Amino acid sequence: MTDLGRLLADVRRGMIPAHVYNDDELFRLERDRVFGRSWMFVAHESEVPRPGDYVVRRVLDDSFIVARDEGGTVRAMFNMCLHRGMQVCRAEMGNASHFRCPYHGWSYRNDGRLTGLPFHREAYGGEAGFRRSEQSLLPAPALDSYNGLIFLNLDPDAPPLREYLGDFAFYLDFYTKQSPAGIELSGPQRWRIKANWKIGAENFAGDSYHTPQTHTSVVEIGLFREPKASKRKEGALYWAQCGGGTTYKLPPGTFESRLRYVGYPDVMIERMRCGWTDAQRRMIAEDGFMISAASVFPNLSLVHNWPKVAAGSDDEVLPFISLRQWQPVSADETEVLSWFAVDAAAPEEFKKLSYKAYLMCFGSTGMFEQDDVENWVSITSTAAGSMARRLLLNNRMGLLHDDKPVTPPLAHWAGPGTAYVGYGEYNQRAMLALWADCLEQPLAEAARTELGAP
Amino acid sequence: MTGQLVGTRRRPGTALAFSDERHLQAHQFLVDESYLLDTQDYESWLALLTDDIRYLMPVRVTTARGTGFDTSPGMAHFDEDKYSLDRRVARFATEHAWTEDPPSRLRHYVTNVRCFAGPAPDELVVESAVLLFRSRGDVRESALVSAGREDVLRRDPSGAADSAGHWMLARRTIAVDESVLRMQNLAIFL
Repeated sequence: MTDLGRLLADVRRGMIPAHVYNDDELFRLERDRVFGRSWMFVAHESEVPRPGDYVVRRVLDDSFIVARDEGGTVRAMFNMCLHRGMQVCRAEMGNASHFRCPYHGWSYRNDGRLTGLPFHREAYGGEAGFRRSEQSLLPAPALDSYNGLIFLNLDPDAPPLREYLGDFAFYLDFYTKQSPAGIELSGPQRWRIKANWKIGAENFAGDSYHTPQTHTSVVEIGLFREPKASKRKEGALYWAQCGGGTTYKLPPGTFESRLRYVGYPDVMIERMRCGWTDAQRRMIAEDGFMISAASVFPNLSLVHNWPKVAAGSDDEVLPFISLRQWQPVSADETEVLSWFAVDAAAPEEFKKLSYKAYLMCFGSTGMFEQDDVENWVSITSTAAGSMARRLLLNNRMGLLHDDKPVTPPLAHWAGPGTAYVGYGEYNQRAMLALWADCLEQPLAEAARTELGAP
Repeated sequence: MTGQLVGTRRRPGTALAFSDERHLQAHQFLVDESYLLDTQDYESWLALLTDDIRYLMPVRVTTARGTGFDTSPGMAHFDEDKYSLDRRVARFATEHAWTEDPPSRLRHYVTNVRCFAGPAPDELVVESAVLLFRSRGDVRESALVSAGREDVLRRDPSGAADSAGHWMLARRTIAVDESVLRMQNLAIFL
């Protein structure tokens, strides 16, 4: 039995008991106390553009149908027939006006309302025995969206999404609001890795230190020039409330020339200039930082890089964006869902090349991702045993023994939150501090729905 | 936008007889290729791909019967041309492609081969099933990928291709049989 109080105290002082990366007991706690109260990304509105479009997404073991109803409203409904618990939708995506349970034929409109109940009068005595007209598939306890990103929360009393995202929304806009049209998503690629979900989330949040080593090969083959150690350590790491990320320092220039440097065409740059706030523009124009990887607690990550997508001159790079979720399966297994995202208003040629850039770098075949996952699988496997309970990993990079930072935070940083230049595990500590806050707080018992009880 | 149907598509026409020389050459091409892929002799493999190669592995999705598509719209695991395949191969040749160092033990089982005359006289359409077994390290569980493949083979006009009948791979579409892969990455080729 783990002493939870001691474990959380260790994590908060920057020491990680290694077994947190493969511990069934902790995983059961995470299931309730982290994922039972956090806003979980499930889909983007562009994945269900037309009435009747749906995708089926999970929050751990809970399956939800995310559907756009005939009136255009997007809902998330628990994918369980109200009668005997069968999944009412067994496809992953499609378009449907109704979902009919194959077991006894109860059917539901795409807004969740129960509409068909065979032999209602004969079997139940009609409304006198079962009030059909009042029933709907259970809605997600809370549902909200930001820039078209749809999140749900299993806690009906969770603070609103916008409040949860807080200052991180400033950074989320760089990835998801490059024009008024917003982004469109393709995918996800889905695959299972024998790795604990936290490792990917922490890595994307702030591990610029791994880039020059883990990803040496992509520099060597001329795919992406930036991860060289000399460049990577010039980037800033920022943390803002529920998330944080890494950046690269761009060569001297203006807002426009720096966005051109990473491969954006002028027509897109102009829309970014118009759509972003003054502070968002200054982060690029004055501070000279360009977003790269990031994570939103607990398990949503983003990445923005600009590799070379065709043979030719070194200057011909093109940016891509990926959204990914580290969906926990168990203490030692994670399903990765990796989407390609692109500004919906981008020129078609840009979208095509950006997609190609994504496939080469990230996702199931990505040349960055391949080496990342190799590391994470190895860590998880090694964290299972008794020796991992005796080793506290050092998560204090960037801090001196007296807890003062090795380098002071950036004085000039246009964005909210705190930023540092150079290597440091500021964000991994921030991520695990939120994790610790969740773990020590028991979850209130959720309200129950009694279906058609007298 | 909807995806394509790759799983249950039926090919019109009759397969070439198994005794047909073109079938024999195509079959030999696939078997010889599988040895190159098992031993990760990717330089030799690249030399068998035409310059306009398209190497595609769509993401499969579960859809209701009759929906008309079984792949994710606009998304693939592989959607490669010669440049991107060449970069992947170049990466494996560096000393820092950690995911394959130590290397996986690979076995490509190729079966159910049938061959059709292609749209052009120097082209063949070849269907096959492939099962890839991959084992890494000593304690990890091994992983499998099962897929159907539809290839277009084109005869090398220069006759230089080092393959049975001088065939080269011009197009490959891989219909993977899982929607969620049970393999840590696709640092392999199918």
